[in-house]
Amino acid sequence: MTTETETETTETQTTRGKVYVIDRGRPKLRAGQGLLTGLDVVFRHFRDALMRKLEKPSQQTGVFTVQYPEERLKLPEAFRNFPILLYDDETGHELCTSCFQCQRICPPQVIHMTQARDPATGKAVPAVAEFLIEYDACMSCGLCAEVCPFDAIKMDHEFELSTDVHGGLTINKVGLNRPISYYEKIAPTFWAEVKDGAMKKLQGNIKRRPDLIGVAPQMIDTIKAKRAEAATAQEPAPTARDSVPTDKADRLAAIRAKAAAKDAEAQPAPSDDSAPTDKAARLAAIRAANAARKAAAEGAPAPASDAPATHAAPAPDAPPAARSMPDDKAARLAAIRAANAARKAAAEGAPAPASDVPTAHAAPASDAPPAASSMPDDKAARLAAIRAANAAKKAAAQKQDGNDDK
Amino acid sequence: MTDILRSWIGSALPDWLIVLIAYLIVTTIVLFYAVGNFILMVWAERRVIARMQDRLGPNRVGPAGLLQPIADAVKMFTKEDIVPRSADRWVHLLAPVVSLAPVVMMLAVIPWGRGWEPIDLNVALLYVVAVSAVSGIGLMMAGWGSNNKFALLGAMRAVAQLVSYEIPAVTALLTVVVLAGGMSLLNLPYLQAGIPLMGATILCNDPVGCSPLLYTTLTSFPGSPNEPVQVLDLGLGWWVFTPVGLLGFVVFFIAALAEGERTPFDIPEADSEIVAGYMTEYSGMKFATFYIAQYILNFSLAALAATAFLGGWQGPGVAALANMGGPWVHVAAALSAFYLLAKIWILFFVMIWLRGAFPRLRVDQLMDFAWKLLLPLALVNIVSASLMVSITQWTSAQWSGLVNLDGFASWQRQLIAVIVTAIINISATYWILSINQRPKEEEWDEELVVAP
Repeated sequence: MTTETETETTETQTTRGKVYVIDRGRPKLRAGQGLLTGLDVVFRHFRDALMRKLEKPSQQTGVFTVQYPEERLKLPEAFRNFPILLYDDETGHELCTSCFQCQRICPPQVIHMTQARDPATGKAVPAVAEFLIEYDACMSCGLCAEVCPFDAIKMDHEFELSTDVHGGLTINKVGLNRPISYYEKIAPTFWAEVKDGAMKKLQGNIKRRPDLIGVAPQMIDTIKAKRAEAATAQEPAPTARDSVPTDKADRLAAIRAKAAAKDAEAQPAPSDDSAPTDKAARLAAIRAANAARKAAAEGAPAPASDAPATHAAPAPDAPPAARSMPDDKAARLAAIRAANAARKAAAEGAPAPASDVPTAHAAPASDAPPAASSMPDDKAARLAAIRAANAAKKAAAQKQDGNDDK
Repeated sequence: MTDILRSWIGSALPDWLIVLIAYLIVTTIVLFYAVGNFILMVWAERRVIARMQDRLGPNRVGPAGLLQPIADAVKMFTKEDIVPRSADRWVHLLAPVVSLAPVVMMLAVIPWGRGWEPIDLNVALLYVVAVSAVSGIGLMMAGWGSNNKFALLGAMRAVAQLVSYEIPAVTALLTVVVLAGGMSLLNLPYLQAGIPLMGATILCNDPVGCSPLLYTTLTSFPGSPNEPVQVLDLGLGWWVFTPVGLLGFVVFFIAALAEGERTPFDIPEADSEIVAGYMTEYSGMKFATFYIAQYILNFSLAALAATAFLGGWQGPGVAALANMGGPWVHVAAALSAFYLLAKIWILFFVMIWLRGAFPRLRVDQLMDFAWKLLLPLALVNIVSASLMVSITQWTSAQWSGLVNLDGFASWQRQLIAVIVTAIINISATYWILSINQRPKEEEWDEELVVAP
């Protein structure tokens, strides 16, 4: 019997995959020997199927059954079932810009979308308001994923979608949205190929999207919470401060200013950055002082308390943006805002006290001014301003030292 | 069983009632035994054939899929019973019953263990052969009554196959009849005591010291019918170890495959050709009845083959335990029943193995095989069996002085018989195989072939 010759398998790697050549050997058979050989082959399969699983194609025997719900074959990356939409894990922004390419190319015409509009201006925004795919009529051709210039639509690996609810197979944007990390998991090399381009395009699009438009619906709460968290991290417990005496509040502001300066120092900036940083801090302080002076010259104390309140409105949005920017930028921004606030206060004609100056400068999302303005304390305010200036100077000096050390 | 009941109940009941109850109990036990084996066989066949095809087989219902037959039974019971409008209602209804009943009747005479035989019939082999032939009528009824061309074709094929293969099967069993000197199935295992090839011919030289674990006192064995002698007995003197028994076993087993409609002889129900043969128009429980009939037929044919050629319940240790007497006799009976069951299952495994390996034969190949190969071999085997018996048992008076073997010991006579029959059987097999070989294809001279 030809037991041994049959198990010989050569494995060759070619450009298109592995090629297995099985040498079955064909010795001359005597009468009845073919029957015995057949029995031998079957028995070998029986024996090996009891003992092992078929793991690679060069093995000719062994159980090849995959017990499906419990065991699953690893799907190839190029496996495609139905399309999904991607959104960024970090910012929650969807990659889709509603360019309608997928809707146009879809052979069974199962993709439908509406473009998002800016609620303020009514202009179209590169984001999608609603996105529908009829999975029940989708033919899984993958053309939508191929044509998408933003890599926003991809083919999913999930295939266990059978249901008795027919309408349940029309999926809206919430149902289609998947984080990029999910796609990265199922198709790592494919995503690595397009990642840089897609993320670059996404950054460009985010700039053109006002507020929360274009954020995945399931991420809105998370993003809001993140922003609120960021806001509170920058200026904790604004309500508690109302009860605190003014000079204390001002001191706090000064401390915060110090902290901000320290932050700026802690940031590992390139050496030439250090100059702009302290310069920016000084500039901000000067501008804030100027604005406050102006306000003091023109404004009345009562309306001055209103002014920061109006200015406080955009504040919750600002911190994340400020945080992500370099610190000198943030300082500049803070200074500008403080100046604006002071100017506004001045416009109202309120003689804002000098105490506004350090507060406005230290915390852009200032709730403190009302408290400060209600109880003007020149001395404390001045002290705070001086302290802030000192801190900035110190920070600049330290940074210089640090750079010298380098 | 009758005796046990008599001792338990005594005179409380009339004797005829005790006998009736005893036989009913025995019948119930045998039927449960067969049906239990049927259930396991269905499961085992599916699992084993799956492994042979590198699959797992049913493994979802119960542990390792053991409850799969129960699930199948529930399905069969709840299925609609469809009778075609043009079918002959009564024939259609009776056909499964007629094919199952004779198969079940075969179970009555098989000795399931040492002392565990439902009926002691001295023409048991004749009974088995006669009764199993009846099931062909059931198949023909099914094919004819269904009024369906596939069913009729299947029935025709089935009957043709059964009738053809009955002849080699019966001729092969005739070998056993010659060797045993009778048709009783009950005696066959006792006659197959001893050691391989030599049978029960090694006598105890020292009548005092022979251990009862190795030597059994036999009242009748080839060579000296009536004197009780002590012979070396390992329970392995199966006839399949002798040339005559081997050839007889091969022929009978192949014929049994055909009678049981197992692959490669499943022509009557060739599903790729004629739907399901005579079972085409059957559904639900009627179909299940055919199914049961087929498996129990396979089971009883395997039991018959094991009893006739593989020593039946005979095996190492049975005789030794029985010789120890007392309660050990029951242990010996249980062990012997296990031996028979193991042999049946090994034969059944071979049936599955063949099914996994071989494709279905064509009808003409099937007939060729039966008439040109199996039947001549079986006939030659009868000659061999006769020679075997005469060489080992006949006195010179019976030979009429032609051959005188009286001076030889029984083991020497056995050896001579084995050598003579081996020569006859091997040469006959070779010759018959060679004349059955396909003639070599003629070489065509291509230049002489002219296109028409």
